Amino acid sequence: MEQSKNWYDKNYKLLLVIPLVLLLSSIVYMGIFYSNNQDFLYKDISLTGGISITIFGEINYLDLEQFLSEKLQEVNTREISDLITREQKAVIIEIKTEGCNELEVKQTKTILEDYLGYELVDGDNSSFECTGSSLSESFYKQLLIAILFAFFFMAIVVFIIFRTFVPSTAVILSALADILMTLTLINLFGMKMSSAGIIALLMLIGYSVDTDILLTTRMLKRYEGSLNKRILGAFKTGITMTLTSLLAIVMALLVVKSFSPVLTQIFTILSIGLGFDILNTWITNASILKWYMEKKK
Amino acid sequence: MVYGEEKMKLTWKIWLLIIVVGFSLLSMFGMPPTFLEKGVLITSVETNSTAFEQGLRQGQIITNIDGTQIKNLESFSNALQGKFNSNENIKIIIQTKNSEVILYSNHVPNITVAEIPKTNIKTGLDLAGGSRALVQAVNKKLSSTEINDLVDITRNRFNEFGLSDINVLPVSDLTGNHFMLVEIAGATKTDLVELISKQGKFEAKIGNETVFIGGERDIASVARSGQDSGIYSCDQSQEGYFCNFRFTIFLSEEAAKRHAEITEDLEVNVTSQGSYLSEKLDLFLDDKLVDSLSIGEGLKGRVTTQISISGSGSGITRNEAYDDAATSMHKLQTILITGSLPYKLEIVKLDTISPVLGKEFIKSIFLAGLAALLMVSIIIFIRYKKFKSSIALLITSVSEIIIILGIASFIKWNLDLPSIAGIIATIGIGIDQQIIILDEARQSTSLSIKQKLKKAFTIILGAYFTAVVALIPLLWAGAGLLKGFAITTLIGITSGVLITRPAFADMVKRIEE
Repeated sequence: MEQSKNWYDKNYKLLLVIPLVLLLSSIVYMGIFYSNNQDFLYKDISLTGGISITIFGEINYLDLEQFLSEKLQEVNTREISDLITREQKAVIIEIKTEGCNELEVKQTKTILEDYLGYELVDGDNSSFECTGSSLSESFYKQLLIAILFAFFFMAIVVFIIFRTFVPSTAVILSALADILMTLTLINLFGMKMSSAGIIALLMLIGYSVDTDILLTTRMLKRYEGSLNKRILGAFKTGITMTLTSLLAIVMALLVVKSFSPVLTQIFTILSIGLGFDILNTWITNASILKWYMEKKK
Repeated sequence: MVYGEEKMKLTWKIWLLIIVVGFSLLSMFGMPPTFLEKGVLITSVETNSTAFEQGLRQGQIITNIDGTQIKNLESFSNALQGKFNSNENIKIIIQTKNSEVILYSNHVPNITVAEIPKTNIKTGLDLAGGSRALVQAVNKKLSSTEINDLVDITRNRFNEFGLSDINVLPVSDLTGNHFMLVEIAGATKTDLVELISKQGKFEAKIGNETVFIGGERDIASVARSGQDSGIYSCDQSQEGYFCNFRFTIFLSEEAAKRHAEITEDLEVNVTSQGSYLSEKLDLFLDDKLVDSLSIGEGLKGRVTTQISISGSGSGITRNEAYDDAATSMHKLQTILITGSLPYKLEIVKLDTISPVLGKEFIKSIFLAGLAALLMVSIIIFIRYKKFKSSIALLITSVSEIIIILGIASFIKWNLDLPSIAGIIATIGIGIDQQIIILDEARQSTSLSIKQKLKKAFTIILGAYFTAVVALIPLLWAGAGLLKGFAITTLIGITSGVLITRPAFADMVKRIEE
């Protein structure tokens, strides 16, 4: 114990190198990504506009995708299966289109009906969702604005709570690092983000700031015990928090994986984010705070 | 020890939690609980049907038909089966919860029914099924007053068409765009696209010249009942039946003068049926010709305010043709009264979702929730090795879910996918904060337990405010379609800070003392 403390005292600044390298490579990667794609992420049709049709029943979705890709551009299919029996319940087909006018919709449906050999009735043997591309674009912009505002408001509240520059900035920096690193990993995976995925990024702001506030409060506003003891105390609480959330989310993810693409994406992003949060709270934020406190002494 | 436990009485904060959870359960299940009720719920009644005239309405619960108790959908269809085999009118007595209705009819009542929902929790379109369209004007940015007018006109039209179950709302988004949101809950055969894309532009033309258009500028009034309005003949043709309708409209003076000017220059053709003007009065609905009326010689150049509009409906049976004619007449009358919109409408988002997967989805959410809670309790138990604290934490989290669902049913919030994501987020935040409370209480400092808990609440309040401000932009982003997430999360974390967390702190205080 004694030894590990000494080790920590000697090396806590050095530890900062790990998140710093990760953060810098994330920034570089995102910079390259943005210049290549003119965007921060890959978008699915809920953000680019298009048609999503869910057809109930057992349909070979790979065959269908093959068939459709010859006739349409940018087709994506996915199956939905029962949680327990793993029996196929439906297929989701996503097709990029410009608008939701009758002509475009009918065209797509006719192609599908040709393949299936029966008529698709909305709300009966299928579900139909369509979003026009200009609307999706504006949705996407607004969601980005919502995230920016959320982040900005969060930063203000953090400054109001702690009223000191370095600790507040450390909290904000570690939240920012969480989001950037998560985004980088999502893009590396090639995951296509839906509007729900962007909500997950928003949730991440909330979750990541929680542990940072805990740590900073324990360090700044308590005077009992040594710095390291306070960090360790906060770490015990914080890691319990993050691990319970993380494990609960992973459990939930396993359950919904075959069923709900929306929740699967939210849970995947949150798991990634919470993983990075462990790093950023207990190395980035803790080391900066310790550095600041040692210097102030 | 025994003495100590006897002393452990419930504090007011814990009482408050119990009372709020009680009220939430009440709001979720109703009093008496709806799952104990027997009968079937009327989900729609066709307007103008006998059932409607006799007072059956959507939302009523049928408990008894002709002396047979109705328990569920099965006994409902059993009770009606075989009753309408002949074409004669028969009498059936339908008892609802608060009234009795007697129908004389030769067909099954024009109502749709469903099982009584077991709770008051309403699920959104993406889970319960239904249709939704987000509508904008083509190439025109509508102001909020224009959108409100559009919503009013659309509502009126839907009512006129006998569609009462449609929800029409103005919505706006972060960038100041205004939309009209049209929603129909549940499975439906109504074609939203058809309804909305018909902007209802009515024009009456002679040749290329417009004589009058729908709306109050040109049309003073429209006869809707009595001698001046109705279906006057039905004929059989090769493909089925045709029924003809006719109603009178009264033009404004200005439109009447226009009529006179245009007809002045027309020639008169003498045919065997009589003398008519060389051009006809063509009636266009949404640029489609619905009828051409021959203009009698007597109207040439006359300032006439009274014009008879006619049209027809068709169908395979006589009844069908009659209904079709009645619907067309009604539609035309509505459009003539309300006028056309000065812009074309465009559906920018259209969703028609089947209720089939929704049920499965709710099942999977329950499973996911259970799995997550189980996981949390195991970790908490391993970490604290204290049975009581772990149980207290679980109870608090479950009551938090109940409170969110209770408030959501109370404010009639439709729980959609984003709302459920919000509930999950809240539970996660709640458990995190309870862990903070537990750990602060266990800190081995010289502070009293009360002071320790106060410290816990500084952290919790800090986290609370950051979460609240982060959620606010989401109330507007994306035309409010993601609002559910912000709403449930706000309900959850606010009731958490005000009710569940203080109660949990008191429980912990008792356990630690």
